[in-house]
Amino acid sequence: MKIRGNPSKTDPRCAAVLEAIHYVIKGEKILKGAGLSIDVIPVPREISSDCGMALEFSCQDRGRVEQLLVDKGVTIVGIYALCKGQYSKL
Amino acid sequence: MIYFDNACTSFPKPPAVVDAIRDYFFHVGSSPGRSGHRLALEAGRQVFETRENLSRLFNVPRSEHVVFTSNATDALNLAIMGLLAEGDHVITPSMEHNSVMRPLNYLLKKGIIDLTIVQCSKEGHIDLDALKRSIRKNTRLIAVNHASNVVGTIAPLEEIGKISGDIPFLVDVAQSAGAVPLDVETMGIGLLAFTGHKSLYGPQGTGGLSVREGIDLKPLRMGGTGSKSESWDHPDFLPDKYECGTPNTPGIIGLGEGVKFVLHEGVDRIRQHEMMLTQSLLTGLEDIEGIAVYGPKNPEAQTPTVSITVNGVQASEVGYRLDREFDIMARVGLHCNPGAHKTIGTFPHGTVRLSMGYFNTPEEVDQVLESLREIATSP
Repeated sequence: MKIRGNPSKTDPRCAAVLEAIHYVIKGEKILKGAGLSIDVIPVPREISSDCGMALEFSCQDRGRVEQLLVDKGVTIVGIYALCKGQYSKL
Repeated sequence: MIYFDNACTSFPKPPAVVDAIRDYFFHVGSSPGRSGHRLALEAGRQVFETRENLSRLFNVPRSEHVVFTSNATDALNLAIMGLLAEGDHVITPSMEHNSVMRPLNYLLKKGIIDLTIVQCSKEGHIDLDALKRSIRKNTRLIAVNHASNVVGTIAPLEEIGKISGDIPFLVDVAQSAGAVPLDVETMGIGLLAFTGHKSLYGPQGTGGLSVREGIDLKPLRMGGTGSKSESWDHPDFLPDKYECGTPNTPGIIGLGEGVKFVLHEGVDRIRQHEMMLTQSLLTGLEDIEGIAVYGPKNPEAQTPTVSITVNGVQASEVGYRLDREFDIMARVGLHCNPGAHKTIGTFPHGTVRLSMGYFNTPEEVDQVLESLREIATSP
């Protein structure tokens, strides 16, 4: 399934799950505005609490992603890392 | 055709509003916050932008605190019914619209609240001392119309905000949003109820409520939000807490373009133009014998809404002749506001309301004056 990590990118991928779609779109705008390469993906099935969509980014950017979101008042429900086709909570 | 019924609904709309709604139907079509495909995301982005621009216009610190409703009445009901509980006391001026008075009167008659109606002057001005004196220990809400829908009188929000202190201050900005400067922070506004289809130039069926952080309202509706889908508990975070079911996406996107238009033109510039029109209309009306003008009669103190009566001619007859003989659209009657008409002394027959907007011109004002002169001299 292509959504499980962007196949065009080889670096480890992480996903941030947020409370509401409002925050996903706000987060997308903030992170893209900061020049980060991110994607909006459906929330992976192993993550139960969701608003349907999540922000996917390179795990290398995790610190920056968290900082940028928290600074703008976006509540992060959880950060997950994709490993061997499975997402696990960090 | 001359359209002088902007206090009811603004017309025409900026072309960008119509274009955005058409583009949505041709190229997006989807609902935001549900499906995850790119069309749903695009719809979500456009709704988000509308919320952001509204929060810029009203200076709401966080845009998720602007929640969409189907109109100002819906927003006022959410504020009033969502906030008040048994034993609460409410203060409101005598100029309020039925959208505030009917829910308050319902709660009063049910024995749930106490209500103090502060008498306004014949021009529609609030007695601030009387308002202050009305505050009790159990006062839970002060609800004020920013601009009268009958005579345009503008309420001094900053002063009322100071008087309100910690008591939630609800402002109905149906007549003023986009036409008069607003700032929820400096004006101390806790709850701001707006409509989309008047001076924000959106389509009908749009509106919203800004809810200050710390004010907790009971949601009046619960259901699907696209969030927390695994739970039967309704979300307690904004905007989802007060928004459920599929939203009016094309309407909200159209409203977004209307708000962009206001931000681009600038509220101050819009206000200047509308004050100039109001001055021309008021000056012209003074010269017509047999016409009585209500309200402040001062462009600085009102929106471009002017109520008149013509000696010897019923308001409904004036409205009919303006339409059929002179191609002028105006609204007559009580304007869903018996309280205001009782205050200004025109109940139960009502007035002829001439309400201008940003797209009206001085030439149109002259034509309206000429038509009224003819009606007044040949009743």
